[in-house]
Amino acid sequence: MIPLTWYLALSAVLFTIGVVGVIIKRNAIAMFMCIELMLNAVNLTFVAFSSYFGDVTGQLFVFIVMTVAAAEAAVGLGIIIAIFRNRESLDVDDASVLRL
Amino acid sequence: MELPSISQLLFVLFGAMALGCAVAMVAQRNPLYSAISLVGVFVSLACLYLTLQAPFIAAVQVIVYAGAIMVLVVFVIMLLNVEEEVRRPVRLHYLIPVGVLLAAILVGEAAFMLSLGSGGAARVTPMAPAASDIGLTASIGTGMFTKYLLPFEVTSVLILMALVGAISLARQGRTPLLAAPGNVSEEPAALTAGGELALKPGDTAATGRAFARQQLERGEAAAPSRAASEEDEG
Repeated sequence: MIPLTWYLALSAVLFTIGVVGVIIKRNAIAMFMCIELMLNAVNLTFVAFSSYFGDVTGQLFVFIVMTVAAAEAAVGLGIIIAIFRNRESLDVDDASVLRL
Repeated sequence: MELPSISQLLFVLFGAMALGCAVAMVAQRNPLYSAISLVGVFVSLACLYLTLQAPFIAAVQVIVYAGAIMVLVVFVIMLLNVEEEVRRPVRLHYLIPVGVLLAAILVGEAAFMLSLGSGGAARVTPMAPAASDIGLTASIGTGMFTKYLLPFEVTSVLILMALVGAISLARQGRTPLLAAPGNVSEEPAALTAGGELALKPGDTAATGRAFARQQLERGEAAAPSRAASEEDEG
């Protein structure tokens, strides 16, 4: 029998790794992947609570989070391609001003 | 000493796999290796969902995350030909201790919540994943199309917006003008010696229409002969 706390701890650690990645990475695509990792950590919490409470709502929410993540991936990668086309670089330090 | 149960062993195995892949993802400097490590995180999280008796979410995790989203990310990485991050001089030195402090606060908060959880969250443990059908596709579908129908529909609108947004963001060049007569400023395309149209990079549909109008003004020099040859073949 696994205590619920184990899942929550794993999720918290994964989320923290995602936050650290967003902070220390400067490549736009790598930051994007760290955001995906944070979304997944939250999904793990949802599924764990859903399973331990015997309620399906958490898993429905995970499904919707996944849909939002897919939409975010499409739009985010479109933005990244547009930035790369204008600046020839994916470094976020090169994109710190809106003006070219 | 009590032996760990099989579910505990599975949790430790896949949890360690997820953590290791996550750390590797952040530590890698090459985005492609980061992406592969992230796929490892997704797959091990899908296995954890299976141990939580949520097979539908586990399948969707593999199909949507590891399948669709990561393929998109890897495609963009390869399309843009991103090489390793170059080391740059760090600006804003004072931000590093601030960042370490904030990370420590975040970890401390999480630990505090979990130590509270030994009194609070542990009380719900008895409900634990007994054999039930809440993770099956049928119960998720029932919930989604009855009680949560509005969020589902809103999500479909969101996907439509993302589709339009992604296409309009990633499309190259300006919107082509509608070619009304007198509205075309492009240089008409030139004819090569063989009589075909020589298209240059940068030609738009408007250029083609200008060329067609020029042909009409020239008394359809090329078109009748082509039509005649088609009649011969027919």
